[in-house]
Amino acid sequence: MMNGRSGLLTLRISLLAVVAVFVQIGVISEVPVFGVNVDISPLLVAFVGLLCGSTLGAVSGFAVGLLVDLSLGQTLGVTSLIFTLIGYWSGRLREMRDPQAALTPLLVGAAAAAVALIGYSLVEFMLGVDAPVSLDLLRQIVLGVVVDAIAAVPMWLIVRRALRGGLPEDPRRRRRRAYTTGGLSPLSRS
Amino acid sequence: MSDKTVRRRRAVLLLLVVLSLILLTAYFGEASSGRLHSVQRAFLTVVSPIQDGANKALKPVRDLFGWFGETADAKSQRDQLRKQVDALRRQLAALQAEQRTDKQVGGLTQLDSSLSILDYHPVTATVVGKSPNLWYETVDIDKGEAAGVRLNDPVINGEGLIGKVSEVASDGAEVSLITDSAVGVSARIGSSSSTGIIQPKVGDPSDLLLQYLPASAQPNVGEEVVTSGTVDPPDDSLYPPGLPIGQVTKVGEESAYKTVDVQPYANLHNLDVVQVLTSVQGGLPERLSHLVSTFVPGQNAVTGTGPQLASTGVG
Repeated sequence: MMNGRSGLLTLRISLLAVVAVFVQIGVISEVPVFGVNVDISPLLVAFVGLLCGSTLGAVSGFAVGLLVDLSLGQTLGVTSLIFTLIGYWSGRLREMRDPQAALTPLLVGAAAAAVALIGYSLVEFMLGVDAPVSLDLLRQIVLGVVVDAIAAVPMWLIVRRALRGGLPEDPRRRRRRAYTTGGLSPLSRS
Repeated sequence: MSDKTVRRRRAVLLLLVVLSLILLTAYFGEASSGRLHSVQRAFLTVVSPIQDGANKALKPVRDLFGWFGETADAKSQRDQLRKQVDALRRQLAALQAEQRTDKQVGGLTQLDSSLSILDYHPVTATVVGKSPNLWYETVDIDKGEAAGVRLNDPVINGEGLIGKVSEVASDGAEVSLITDSAVGVSARIGSSSSTGIIQPKVGDPSDLLLQYLPASAQPNVGEEVVTSGTVDPPDDSLYPPGLPIGQVTKVGEESAYKTVDVQPYANLHNLDVVQVLTSVQGGLPERLSHLVSTFVPGQNAVTGTGPQLASTGVG
C-alpha cells in the first residue's frame, strides 16, 4: 500500500521525468556540444536510483525509457530495457556502498551515459541495423560519455533538490544516525 | 536485508526486463499498422501540441545556448564557407555550361518543369523536437495526416533533402533524417547515370556514405550528389529525382563497388522549418507518362507505358 510519503515521491519523480524528457527533446537535443548531444534522461534515471534505491530506480528507468521511446517514435522497449538496468544498478550502488564522495555524481553519470550509449549500439546491432561501423562510433561514444559526465553535476543538484524531503531514507540522516549509535547501519539491521 | 526484500527487488527487476523484451520483440516484429505502432501514434497525437507549445516557450533558451555554440564555431565556419563559395563558383560555371546544353534538349522533354518542387504539393512544417540518440536521427514536426502528410513522404529544406516521414499522427509526424541508420536513399553524382545508395556514416552524424557505385564510376571531390529518383521496379525510389543531397568530400579506395564520403548540404543539427513533399508517390510517373504520350502522337500512355510508370516512385 502506498503511503503519503512514497506517493509524494512518486509524483515528484513523475513530474521530473516528464519535464526532463520534454526539455531534452525540445531544447537540449537541438544544441550539440562538441558535435554530440547531451542526454540527460539516463542521468535522471541513475540519480533517481542513487537517491531512492534499486526498486524505484528500476521502475523509474522503465517508465522514463517508455516515455522517451513513445515521444520519439523509437523502437518500444529498447530504452526501457537499458534505463531499467541503469536505474537498478545505480540503486544497488547506493544500497551496497552508499557513496558520499563529491565525484560520485560525475562518475555515476559517466557510467550511466556509457551504459546507455553502448547498450543502444549493442541492441541496434542485435536488431540487425545494417550500418558501417568505424572508429568514429567509438569517438562519438567517448565524447558522449564526457559531455554527459559534465552535465551530470548540475543534473545531480537538480534531481537531489527536486526529491529532497521525499526520500525514503536520506543517506545523510542514516549516516548521522549510524555514527551516533556506534556504527549500527540500518542496512545491517534489515 | 531480509530475504523477502531481496526477492521482491529481484522480481521487480526481472518483471521490468521481461516486459521490455516483450515490448521490443512485439514492436520490432509487427507491421507499422500494428497495435503498438498505433499506441505510439496516438501518444504522438496527444503529445504533439504539448511539444509544440513547449518548443515555442523554450525557444529563447535554445537560442541562448545555440548562440554560445554558434559563436564558438563562427570562425571555422567562415573559413569553411569561403572554401565552399570558391567551390560553388566553379560549380556554377560548370552548371551554366551544362544548363545551356540542357536547354537545347529541354524543349523536347520539358522535364525541368516537371521537377518543380511546387508540383509535389509541399507542406511547410515546424520542427518541434529532436532525438538525442546516436542511432535514431529523427525530428518531430507539427504537421501530420490532417495536412496531407503520409508515411514515407520525402522531407526537404532550403538546402536539400533531409529525410523521410517515418511515423504519422493526425497533427504531427516523425521524420527520419538521411543520417538515420534506417534510411537509405538512391542517389547519383552530378549528371552521371551511375547510382548508389546514400547511407549514414555511423559515428559521424555530419557525414554520409554513397555506397555501391559501380567500379566504372569516376566521382570527383566537390561534385554534387542528388537523388536519382530511380523508376525501375522493384528498385523504385521514394524521392523525386534531382533533389540535392550533398557534396563529395572523399573518394574511397578501389574495390568491386566504389564508396564516396558525402557532406550533406542541409545543416541537420539546426532544423527549424522543413517542407514535406506530399504528392511524390505516383506524381512523377503520371507526369512522365503524360510526356510519353506527347512525344509519340497516337500512343496511349495510360494503357502502354503508363501502368509500368505509374507503379513507380513508391518503395
